[in-house]
Amino acid sequence: MSRRYDSRTTIFSPDGRLYQVEYALEAISHAGTAIGILAKDGIVLAAERKVTSKLLEQDTSAEKLYILNDNMICAVAGMTADANILINYARQAAQRYLLTYNEDIPCEQLVRRLCDLKQGYTQHGGLRPFGVSFIYAGWDPQRQFQLYLSNPSGNYGGWKATSSGANHASAQSLLKQDYKEDCTLDEACAMAVKVLSKTMDSTKLSSDKIEFATVGQTKDGKIYHKLWTADEITALLKKHDLAKEDTSEEK
Amino acid sequence: MRGPTILKATDDKTRQLNDHTLLAFSGEPGDTVQFAEYIQANSQLYSMRNESELSPSALAHFVRGELASSLRSRNPYSVNLLLGGVDPITNKPSLYWLDYLASLAKVPYAAHGYAQYYCLSLLDKHHNPNISLEEGLRLLKLCSDELKRRLPIDFKGLAVKAVTKDGIKAMPFDEDDKVVRDT
Amino acid sequence: MDSLVARYSRPAYQDNEVFSEEEQRDLIETPSLSLKFAMPPVAHPSAWLRAATDDRSNPSCPIKIAHGTTTLAFRFQHGIIVATDSRATAGNWIASQTVKKVIEINSELLGTMAGGAADCQYWLAWLGMQCRLHELRHKRRISVAAASKILANLVYAYKGMGLSMGTMCAGVTKEEGPALYYIDSDGTRLAGDLFCVGSGQTFAYGVLDAEYRYDLTTEEALDLGSRSILAATHRDAYSGGFINLYHVKESGWVKHGFTDTNPVFWKTKLEKGEFSNVTSDFSED
Repeated sequence: MSRRYDSRTTIFSPDGRLYQVEYALEAISHAGTAIGILAKDGIVLAAERKVTSKLLEQDTSAEKLYILNDNMICAVAGMTADANILINYARQAAQRYLLTYNEDIPCEQLVRRLCDLKQGYTQHGGLRPFGVSFIYAGWDPQRQFQLYLSNPSGNYGGWKATSSGANHASAQSLLKQDYKEDCTLDEACAMAVKVLSKTMDSTKLSSDKIEFATVGQTKDGKIYHKLWTADEITALLKKHDLAKEDTSEEK
Repeated sequence: MRGPTILKATDDKTRQLNDHTLLAFSGEPGDTVQFAEYIQANSQLYSMRNESELSPSALAHFVRGELASSLRSRNPYSVNLLLGGVDPITNKPSLYWLDYLASLAKVPYAAHGYAQYYCLSLLDKHHNPNISLEEGLRLLKLCSDELKRRLPIDFKGLAVKAVTKDGIKAMPFDEDDKVVRDT
Repeated sequence: MDSLVARYSRPAYQDNEVFSEEEQRDLIETPSLSLKFAMPPVAHPSAWLRAATDDRSNPSCPIKIAHGTTTLAFRFQHGIIVATDSRATAGNWIASQTVKKVIEINSELLGTMAGGAADCQYWLAWLGMQCRLHELRHKRRISVAAASKILANLVYAYKGMGLSMGTMCAGVTKEEGPALYYIDSDGTRLAGDLFCVGSGQTFAYGVLDAEYRYDLTTEEALDLGSRSILAATHRDAYSGGFINLYHVKESGWVKHGFTDTNPVFWKTKLEKGEFSNVTSDFSED
């Protein structure tokens, strides 16, 4: 009897809840943590990469951080397969906008396009919602640097610092504690590794356990986004004394 | 004009696309207003949906795209356009020239039709990018005088609108002085 | 009787010209050295010629006539400025960049060339001959009014037979002061302050009309003439090459150079900031 309101997404439970959406949220809270911090001169996204098996080929490319457009990147928490569908959709939407207007899609519009799609799966029958939360980092001329979080229900919001995935509650409280208005991108990076080191299982981090990306502005005013290489992440961790002792030699 | 008769001498051949962008048109009667109002409606829909305005550049490219798909359709629009606007974010003014073949060019000054032949050489000589609105209007007066003097048809004068960062307003423009002198 | 009436009656517009009696004779008589041209053996020679030369309706027409041009001339207090470009085109082909479109009829009179190059060259040379004959016969210089009228009557006699000319006659005489006439192959003849002729006329008019005054200084007038040609060479594909500049005074004409438009254009652009649409800045569409 308890399954009456579970199996179809279109049905509200008597107390006004959509169980499928809540289950999707639950799925996400088991995924690796992702955090995003907005600084005055950029944005940092960081994500925990869950290493499930030693035998698994460690992909050199990012699997939790994706480039959506020239002005936007995102971090994924949840099911990677679902995320791929949405990211592909977002990339196409962004390119279609670029083709129509010859300028980059404003960040919030792209977020909303994705959330409209996600919302559709909470209303139409027979399909499950996307089990993905996104943290978006982007820049547009109207609102400069922006950070958004969206979840499977299709809700989204703008944040100064936010997190998603496993331990997101504790990450969120750490961010709330440490966040300084008008911090620089460097300070935000430091905060990101610090928060990750506390929310992850091991206190010492390594470049194969986390992914890092920044959106910033060059000296001549150009907006760039960068997915960090393993060496850059290692250097950052060393600088903040969070790096695991290098034992990868034996491999 | 319809056949040999002027139906209305004071027809507004512009449409406002949003607070800071104006579209001026010429071409096939019927097509012009239909197309301009279609663009106007789309621009206003965007403004409502997104609580922000499309930039003049974005609008110009959007219009170009619409013209390009129209061009290869069964009944293409024959419309020539000038699109002027001030970017609401950077406050920079810009002007775009579009023709019915969906060419798009960002230009410092522009004209369509026979006016091109009389006015562009004047604008080549007297325009520079730093002129004020008043100097711009004086330059426009040079152009309108030349058209009154040389156009083989009875040129009924210009309707002038200025697009500034504060919005779009119709400008009073000198209409009734005689330009043609006896030699 | 009809032939007599035809011979002595003229359209009314010719009556308000005042010519001396000798000049009247020149005007009425058939030009003494005029030539009989062989006509193509067809029913309508002009229609045949038009079909053979109109490359707008028939791009592969057998005869290509040089057409595109910008020429201008205007009167001012110190005489007349005459300026032309130097490009000859046949269809899309630039046949020459060094054509002399100012024709020195004699040391006092200038004619300009627009339309068929051969027609202009031939008939203005012929006009020079008529002017010289006038001088020999009457022991004084021909007036500009009379010279232009000889040409106008000549082209009118050939009207509809395919002549293509748009020319201006400029000269300064004691009696007339600076005198400027426009004559075209339709038979139009107009006196005026300012004319531009050719495919680039509108562009030249634009610049010229805006700053033209009768009391221009000589330097201003020369600059304006050359700037107006530059404007036309910049916008009209069928005009270009060199700026051919003349100043006509009572003592005769003075040549002010045959100047390449290209360096003049860049000098004008870079030093005065004009032609602001010409840019290599593609950073924003």
